[in-house]
Amino acid sequence: MASTVIGAGITIEGEISADEELVVQGTIRGKLDAREGVTVEAGATVEADITSGPLTVAGTVTGNISSSDRVDLQAGARVIGNVKATRITIADGAQFKGNVDMDV
Amino acid sequence: MTLLTVIGRGVRVRGRIHGEGDLTIGGHVEGEIVLAGELTVDAGGLVGANVSARAIVVHGAVRGDLTGEEVVRLEEGARVVGDIRAPRIAIAKGALVRGLVQTGALSAAAAPRASTQTRAAPASHAKAAAPKPAPAAAPARVSRPTPAAVVKQAPLPAAPAPRAAPVAQKAVTNHGAPPVAARPVTPSVLAGAAPAATAQRPPPPVIPALKKGAKAALKKKAT
Repeated sequence: MASTVIGAGITIEGEISADEELVVQGTIRGKLDAREGVTVEAGATVEADITSGPLTVAGTVTGNISSSDRVDLQAGARVIGNVKATRITIADGAQFKGNVDMDV
Repeated sequence: MTLLTVIGRGVRVRGRIHGEGDLTIGGHVEGEIVLAGELTVDAGGLVGANVSARAIVVHGAVRGDLTGEEVVRLEEGARVVGDIRAPRIAIAKGALVRGLVQTGALSAAAAPRASTQTRAAPASHAKAAAPKPAPAAAPARVSRPTPAAVVKQAPLPAAPAPRAAPVAQKAVTNHGAPPVAARPVTPSVLAGAAPAATAQRPPPPVIPALKKGAKAALKKKAT
């Protein structure tokens, strides 16, 4: 289990910066800045620009994503925003609207 | 789906956190926390926020007001700067607190609101409070008439006299002040007492004693 979890009932409005693994089950509005991995679980809502290490999305993300590693959009994910990452996977059943920018 | 939220050591949050479920803070949080569940501030946790929750347990540091619907517990090593209100408050040996501590049923909503009002508009309160102390505080009454008398006498002698007079008045009021100022220090535990305490403080008498334009009038007379 990751050391930081934003639980399902919680809403954070503001800036978050994390130096450790982060799991989001609740709602975040504002800005999310993480050095390590971020997981947005099903049912979670993130309305924020995300900077992170490896990012896994099964919930809803509205905002631009910039990852130093890979981005996984899993089935059921809903992402609106541009994605910049070294690698990206979009699973069958994921909704996505935005540009993809991969370092080539 | 847990309703458990953990903000770990390496995490910093600036903003407002609200919702239901339990929250454990091991990192930094600045802003505001409103929680339906239990808040735990771990030993390494640092919170710079007004906190309102069902139960609050502090092992770390908090700067801000704590309002617990049920209980607030400060464990050993806790450092709290801010007011604490809850029906039950526990402060363990080794916990540090600076602020107003008020147990008992939250006459709830009312008490914190009152305090925020005093903070939001201390000036207006002071003005509103100013007329009250006259009947309440005798020393203020004593000191007040004298400056007025001095001012009336002042125009008669030469210019230097009034200048010296205000200093004397200040000294008088300062001597008069301590016993009155001492009253707020006595634990005015009731939140309602806070505004009253400000009311008992003697109003600054020197400034109103010299009417607006009095100095200019004196100067004109001198020239």
